[in-house]
Amino acid sequence: MDANFINPFVSALVNSLETMLNITPERGTPYLKKEGQTQGDISAIIGFAGPNVTGSVALSLPTPVALKFYSLMMGEKVYRITNDVQDVVGELANIVAGGAKTELSAQNITFNISIPTVVVGPGHTIGHKGDIPVMVIPFEIGKHRFVLEVTMKLE
Amino acid sequence: MKVLIIDDSSSMRMLLGRILDDLGVEHDQAQDGREALQVLETEGPFDLALVDWQMPIMDGIEFVRAVRSDYGSSGPRLLMVTSVNLLESVVEALEAGADEYIMKPFTKEALLEKMAMLGFELS
Repeated sequence: MDANFINPFVSALVNSLETMLNITPERGTPYLKKEGQTQGDISAIIGFAGPNVTGSVALSLPTPVALKFYSLMMGEKVYRITNDVQDVVGELANIVAGGAKTELSAQNITFNISIPTVVVGPGHTIGHKGDIPVMVIPFEIGKHRFVLEVTMKLE
Repeated sequence: MKVLIIDDSSSMRMLLGRILDDLGVEHDQAQDGREALQVLETEGPFDLALVDWQMPIMDGIEFVRAVRSDYGSSGPRLLMVTSVNLLESVVEALEAGADEYIMKPFTKEALLEKMAMLGFELS
């Protein structure tokens, strides 16, 4: 998968976290996802499709990171994954997909994005569309790791 | 001043509500365009509506068109809040009847700036 197609998702995530949560995560080296590999305890997935592209993006967080994002965004602490925490993770994924859509349109890649689906539970797997390779972009914040998964197929 | 927050995300409604609370601005909320039309009718008039673009049941653009059709220029000022910042989207929103446009993610200061552009000086 061309890095030019991944970078808009990465920059949209970093921009969202810096603007809304006032934090800058450290970005790790992207790698291809192995089949059945699990990531965080809570994941928000958004599909997208357009005349020349299909794909999906997922933001997957361990519980401590999800709770931290919630407290930074909403200004109050929570101690478990509530519906409001799920909503924050879904909204962040939505903003990432929207930001990437904006940037990719400059490369004539246009698509509509779906409303986020949020999955909760340790050891869950994230299903992306079809048999397209999934790129995993790891990030670190403090001692915790979280990932952005992106898959995209140009027609 | 009275503001209607329209967003399917409960966290965004809460976040915007807190910003308005800090400013001492009265506000109400709805989670989609259809519910927002009911709130306008039962709880109105509102001076301003903060309208998310992508929502189930009735999205932001449909809501804006409905408000302009039902209320004309006597309805609230309409500020579209969206995660997509494309020229054609801006044009579509303005042609539908929106007054301004702000892109997520945004800071409190950026929101206040847009509201000031609509004539609501709150800072």
